Amino acid sequence: MVPCIALSKGRLEKAAIDFFEAEPLVDKGRKLCIETNRYRFIFAKGIDVATYVEYGIADLGIVGEDILLEYQPDVFDLFPLSFGQCRFSLAGKPGHIVTGPKKRIATKYPNITLNYFRKRGESVDIVKLEGSVELAPVLGLADAIVDIVETGSTLKENGLVVYDDIRPISARLIANRSALKVKREVLKPLLERFQEKEVGA
Amino acid sequence: MLLPLGSADEIGPSVTNRHVVLEKFRKVTADRGFREIATPVVEYASTFIHPSVGMMLQDMMKWFNAQGEIEVLRPDWTTAIARALGGRPISHQKWAYQGPIYDLRKPGLERHQAGIEIIDLPELLGEVECLLTAVAFLKNLKIGPVIIELAHAAIFDQFVQPLGLEEETKEKLRKAMHDKRKDEVASLVTKYGDAVAVNAFMDLIDAYGTSTILEVYQEKWCGQPERLSVLNHLRKLVAVLQDCGVDDVLIDLGSVKKMPYYSGTLFRGFIKANGNVCFSGGRYDPLYDYFGKKTTAVGLAFDVDVLADELRPEPKRERICLVATEDTLAQAEKLRQQFPNAIVDIRFSADGTYDRVVYVEKDPQNEKAVDAHGSLYSPE
Repeated sequence: MVPCIALSKGRLEKAAIDFFEAEPLVDKGRKLCIETNRYRFIFAKGIDVATYVEYGIADLGIVGEDILLEYQPDVFDLFPLSFGQCRFSLAGKPGHIVTGPKKRIATKYPNITLNYFRKRGESVDIVKLEGSVELAPVLGLADAIVDIVETGSTLKENGLVVYDDIRPISARLIANRSALKVKREVLKPLLERFQEKEVGA
Repeated sequence: MLLPLGSADEIGPSVTNRHVVLEKFRKVTADRGFREIATPVVEYASTFIHPSVGMMLQDMMKWFNAQGEIEVLRPDWTTAIARALGGRPISHQKWAYQGPIYDLRKPGLERHQAGIEIIDLPELLGEVECLLTAVAFLKNLKIGPVIIELAHAAIFDQFVQPLGLEEETKEKLRKAMHDKRKDEVASLVTKYGDAVAVNAFMDLIDAYGTSTILEVYQEKWCGQPERLSVLNHLRKLVAVLQDCGVDDVLIDLGSVKKMPYYSGTLFRGFIKANGNVCFSGGRYDPLYDYFGKKTTAVGLAFDVDVLADELRPEPKRERICLVATEDTLAQAEKLRQQFPNAIVDIRFSADGTYDRVVYVEKDPQNEKAVDAHGSLYSPE
């Protein structure tokens, strides 16, 4: 019974692979499921990592905090990891003036965006986009965007500026609610290794 | 015609297994002195959304009735039964129920539960009876091994009390503890407590494991009588379980209540092979208080769908076809009684799906049956 770990493809993939220092992961090609003598890895899109962990297919998962905040999966959200660090920001064109009755915000994260504006006491309309969110203010689809900002270079290259930093986020280690208890003997050494590495990072 | 998302027709084994689970549940609980109770599937939303109950309207299937009141499909059995029993002068203490609940947070619109409620019994007796009923029921279903987890809602309250938190912050901390989100717990406690308090909470998050953890915390919490009293109570429950042959007991001292009405021991059963939660429950005296009855109350609910999935197939029974004619239907029915352990079908002709085919011949003087080869059949 080796632990099954779900890893996010894309932004967090390389850092997660480096973290495990597992030889077969380096040249995994397009395989989505890799088994070493110590672990079973599955690779999936961020939100699907959370789903595989929630449903107990995977015991542990490494996933961006953006996914956890937006979708609120029913998992143990154990601790932040030292990679995948970035921030949620509200951004738009410098000096943009809102002409409509309500601000229109483009984002991949409607729940996070709605909560942010509710806390500010502001009613907004939200346009859900799946990617290249920076285009929306440039082309006039939205007054501003709420998105993950890592270095800020994409914003800059598209002529956008940060209006407000909403909150910092990072990759996080999550665990299935039953597996953490039922498989504690096999998961404990791995969790300790995570914590040691993170403390040392 | 299509079905709404989450709705499903059920055909064959999934229905059969569920009925087997419910039949065995009725037998086990009746043998232990539980009486049956049922509440209506349609209730007022106000029963469930009061802060003492703490359910969220957005998680319920709901509509407005003609008077503009919000009605819901029963989202929770425990609350419905507390409402039903709380307002009645009832002396019986042990109750069993079975039926669906509707919770929009769970996949599938309808979940099937069977459960028990014990009111007005001494704490330890009620909790032991709950847990041992669960053990007996699972044993009867031949489901296992199962791990039983024990926790206690009072521990978190005891830890939080000295911090003097406002309700909103306390709820944030409870949520962070529920998720075992260490950084969030540390950040919240740091604002209101010292380093000792932060370390105590960090330690509490990791305070789960086998029942030996109770001894560890007996030492760690030395000199804190409220915490020691909780440990002592849990130790008594563990001892009874172990004496009854239940060795797989987990303790999670850092576990927090999911519903505001839980006030004491919390328990859950995991199927060891796959980690599925097959039952959960705990003590909820304040819920009955809210519904007008000052009493002790404890109970647990089984996830019938999880149990039905775990059932092993019944041993295969012989399938016999009695081939009759219009004139021999009554004779065939009489013959049917002679095969008590088989599945017996009466047809006018037999296809090849039966294990045995018996032809029923008309003979008013001497009823007889011949087997498929033409020889006279005499049941063994």
